[in-house]
Amino acid sequence: MEAAKMASPKSAPKDAQVMAQILKDMGITEYEPRVINQMLEFAYRYVTTILEDAKIYSSHAKKSSVDADDVRLAIQCRTDQSFTSPPPRDFLLEIARQKNQTPLPLIKPYSGPRLPPDRYCLTAPNYRLKSLQKKVSSTAGRITVPRLSVGAVSSRPSTPTLGTPSAQTVSVSAKVGAPVSLAGQRFTVQIPSSQPAGKSATPTTPTVQNVLINPSLIGPKNILITTNMVPPGAADPNPLKRKHEDDDDYDAL
Amino acid sequence: DRQTLVAVLQFLRRSNLRESEEILRREARLLGDDLGGSVATVGTSSPGVAAVAAVPPGKGETRGGFGIGPPSRGYVLHSAPCLRVSSPSSKITHSADLMGGAVVVEDQPDVSAVLSAYNQQGDPTLYEEYYSGLKHFIECSLDCHRAELSQLFYPLFVHMYLELVYNQHESEAKSFFERFHGDQECYYQDDLRVLSSLTKKEHMRGNETMLDFRTSKFVLRISRDSYQLLKRHLQEKQNNQIWNIVQEHLYIDIFDGMPRSKQQIDAMVGSLAGEAKREANKAKVFFGLLKEPEFDVPLDDEDEEGENEEGKPKKKKPKKDNVGSKSKKQDPNAPPQNRIPLPELKDSDKLDKVMNMKEAARRVRLGPECLPSICFYTFLNAYQGLTAVDITDDSSMIVGGFADSTVRVWSVTPKKLRSVKTAADLSLIDKESDDVLERIMDEKTASELKILYGHSGPVYGTSFSPDRNYLLSCSEDGTVRLWSLQTFTCLVGYKGHNYPVWDTQFSPYGYYFVSGGHDRVARLWATDHYQPLRIFAGHLADVTCTRFHPNSNYIATGSADRTIRLWDVLNGNCVRIFTGHKGPIHSLAFSPNGRFLATGATDGRVLLWDIGHGLMVGELKGHTDTIYALRFSRDGEILASGSMDNTVRLWDAVKAFEDLETDDFTTATGHINLPENSQDLLLGTYMTKSTPVVHLHFTRRNLLLAAGAYSSQ
Repeated sequence: MEAAKMASPKSAPKDAQVMAQILKDMGITEYEPRVINQMLEFAYRYVTTILEDAKIYSSHAKKSSVDADDVRLAIQCRTDQSFTSPPPRDFLLEIARQKNQTPLPLIKPYSGPRLPPDRYCLTAPNYRLKSLQKKVSSTAGRITVPRLSVGAVSSRPSTPTLGTPSAQTVSVSAKVGAPVSLAGQRFTVQIPSSQPAGKSATPTTPTVQNVLINPSLIGPKNILITTNMVPPGAADPNPLKRKHEDDDDYDAL
Repeated sequence: DRQTLVAVLQFLRRSNLRESEEILRREARLLGDDLGGSVATVGTSSPGVAAVAAVPPGKGETRGGFGIGPPSRGYVLHSAPCLRVSSPSSKITHSADLMGGAVVVEDQPDVSAVLSAYNQQGDPTLYEEYYSGLKHFIECSLDCHRAELSQLFYPLFVHMYLELVYNQHESEAKSFFERFHGDQECYYQDDLRVLSSLTKKEHMRGNETMLDFRTSKFVLRISRDSYQLLKRHLQEKQNNQIWNIVQEHLYIDIFDGMPRSKQQIDAMVGSLAGEAKREANKAKVFFGLLKEPEFDVPLDDEDEEGENEEGKPKKKKPKKDNVGSKSKKQDPNAPPQNRIPLPELKDSDKLDKVMNMKEAARRVRLGPECLPSICFYTFLNAYQGLTAVDITDDSSMIVGGFADSTVRVWSVTPKKLRSVKTAADLSLIDKESDDVLERIMDEKTASELKILYGHSGPVYGTSFSPDRNYLLSCSEDGTVRLWSLQTFTCLVGYKGHNYPVWDTQFSPYGYYFVSGGHDRVARLWATDHYQPLRIFAGHLADVTCTRFHPNSNYIATGSADRTIRLWDVLNGNCVRIFTGHKGPIHSLAFSPNGRFLATGATDGRVLLWDIGHGLMVGELKGHTDTIYALRFSRDGEILASGSMDNTVRLWDAVKAFEDLETDDFTTATGHINLPENSQDLLLGTYMTKSTPVVHLHFTRRNLLLAAGAYSSQ
C-alpha cells in the first residue's frame, strides 16, 4: 500500500484535515490518498440524504423547522433501509437449532451431476430469439426445438463456448440437450409442434442455431423441458397455437 | 407458554400485585426443569416501580426478577420482547428491543441460581469509583493471584462502559472511558478503539458484535484460591454493586490447582468471549481418518522408468500395503464410515486415487534435512485486486478471485483448458471409442486462461472440487456460485448469506461445501440443495475462515471474534472452542492425520491445537504480519506458513507435536506450559521481493507451490 500522504496543512481544506484526523483516531495509518476523498463524498451524501428526509418528516408533522427528533427519525429509517445489519444472535441460534435437527439427506448413487432442481440453477437460457416473418415450411411433422445453451449469460459473444455460427439450418436428428455437464434427463421441454421454417436465427445472433429434432427419437422422459425460446415462425398464425404459451413461461432470471 | 408466564409476571409486577406475583413465582419454580436455549433477557420497566431495581444492600444476590427452577442449577430463558428497568435516580428508559440484555445465570457451586433482570446496578456516577476500588484491591493482592484477577479488568470495563452508553449516560461513559482505557492489555486495543466510537445508544444498534458481547457472558478461568479471595472482597458491604455486575456479566469457571502465571494466561486469552469453559472442550471428537477403499493397482504401468523386470516386484509392494490396512482394526478415533452420507466413488475418482498412490510413491520425504523446494506463482498487474487463490489437488489448475468480481482459471500444466463441445457436435462423436473423454472436448476453445463472470462483488473465496469438475466462489454480494469446469459457465448461485461471504471450501470427498460470512454463521451446503443443510451459529463476529476436517465429519471455523470453533457436521453442535489468538483468524490447516489443527491470525502467530484433547500445544512466533496461508506437507512433517510480511516460513511439525504432556491435570484444566521453542522449530524463512503470500499448496510429490500478487512498493 502506498504510504499515507497527509496533505500539507496549507493546502488541504479543513474537512479533509478532519477526515484525516478521524482515520488516524480509528487506527488507520496506511491508506491511499483517494480514501479521504471517498470518505468525504460518502459523508456528504449521507448527511444530505438524512437532512432531506428530516425536512420531509418535519413538514409532514407540520413543524416550522427541523428539529432533533426529525433527524433521529430520518436516521432510523435510513438505517433500517440501507444499512441493514445481520440478524441477532438468538434468532440465528433458533434457526440453526431447527435446521440442524433434520438428518443429513442420503445421497442417491450414480445420479449424474448433482445440481438443485432447474428452477434454482442458472442453466436455462435467458434470451429469446427474435422471430422472423417466415413462411411455413413444408417439413410438416418435424419438430423444432431451440437448442438449450448453457450459460449464455456468462460467455462473451467473442468466445462462444457453445454453438458455432451457421447461416443455415442444420437438420440433425440429435438427442436432446447433450452437454456433459447437464443432466439431460432432468430437463423438461415443451415441444413446439408447429413447423416453423427451417431458417436459423437471424445473423445477429450467430451463436445459436436451431436444431430440428426427429420426434421419434424423443422418449417421453426427455421431452418435458420448458424453454424460453420462441421458435421462429411463431409469429405465423399457425394452427398449432400451443407454443404461444412459451411467451408466458418466460422466467425472468 | 413460557413467554406468557413471563408476560404475566411482568404485568403483575407492573400492577403492584406483589403477593400474587410471589405465589405465581413460587409455583412456577416447580415447573420448567430444563430450560435450554439461547441467551435472552427479561427485564421489566414500570414508572414508579423503581423499587424493584433497588438491590437490598447487604445481600449479595440480585433479586430483581423471578427465579424459575430448582436452586443450584443455572438456566437461560428465552423470551422475545423485553423492557428495561432503571434505578430511581436516572431516567426511565423504556426501550423494547428484540434482543434485549443478558440474563444472569450462575453455575457456581456455592451460589444458588437466581434469574435476575438486567437492571441497572447502582448509580452511574459511581461506576468510576467501583472500578477504581476493584483495581486497587487487585493491585494490592498477592502476586500469585494478581495475574488471574487482572483478567477481570477488561470485561468489567467493557460491560460497564456499554451499560453506561446503553442507558444514555453519555458524559459519564466518556469520562469512564478516558480514565481507564489505558489500563487494559495491549492486545485489546483494537476493541477499545471500536468502543471509543460508540458513544450513543443508537450507535450500538447496528453493531451486532457489540450487542452479542453484551448479551453473552465473558468466561474467565480462575483458580479456586483466587476466586475465594475475590469473592470475599466483593461480598463486603460497600462492594455490593460491583459484585452484582460481576455476577451479571462474567462466568467464572473455577478450577482446582495452582493459579496460572501471567504468561500462561496471556497465551489463552484474547477472544471476545473470554476463554473456553472446560466443558466446552470435553465432547468426543472423531479425529481419525476414514478408511480408504482398497483396490488393485492396475498392472499396466505408465511409469516413466518402464522397467518391466523390476515392475513386477514393484507392483507387489502396493498390494501388500492394501492387505496390511485391511487387517488393521477400526481406528477408535475414526468416525464410522457411514456417520455422514458421502458420495460414492465413481470410476474417474478411482482412477484419480490410483494416480495419487503412484505419485505418493514418488513423493519426497521432507524433514529438517530435506526442505521442500518452493515454486512461487506471482500474479502480475493485479493492482491489489487479488482476493482469493486456490490450486487443484493434482496441481493442474490455479484459480484467482479478484476484487473486480471476476474469477480467472489458469492451467498450470502445458495442457490447455478446453470446454466441452456443443450438443450438435457431441452427437457426431463416436461414443464407444477409448478416448471419448478427449473427443468431447472442443479444440477450438482451448486457451490457457478462462475468465468467469457472474459475481457482483469482490470474490473472497474459491475452492476446486476434488474431482476437478466444479469450482466454487464466494463473494461480497452474498452468494456462493458453482461453476462447471467443463463448460466454464455458472451452474448455480446459492443464496443464504445476505451479507458478504468471506470463505468457502469443498469437502475432501466433494458434494458438500461450507461457507462462512459476515452474518456470523457458517453454513453447510450440498451441491444439489438450494438451501443449506446445516447452520453453525455461535460466533460473536464474522466467520472469516472455514475448513473441512480430512474425514469430512467436522468443520473448523475461524472468526473475527478471535476464536476457532470445531463443529460436528452430523448435528451442528460446537464440539471445540479454541481461544488464544489476539486478532481475527485468517487461515486454518488440519494436519493430514487429522489430529492437529494449525491456525494463523492477524497477530502473526501460528497456534497449534490438539483436537482430541482440546488443548493448545504449540505457538510459532516469527511472522510480523497477518498469516493468510497455512499448509501441512502431504505426510505432515512440515508446516508452511505464508504471510503479508512477504515471507514463507517452514516449521518442523514432527518436533512440534512430539512429547505432548497429556496427563490428567492438563486435560482437566487445559493448561499447558508452552515451551519457547519457536526458533528451534523454524526451518527456514524465504522472502519474496514484495509479494504477500496468499496461498500455499503442497503438490502430491511435496513440492511447495505458493501464490501471491505482486504489490509494487
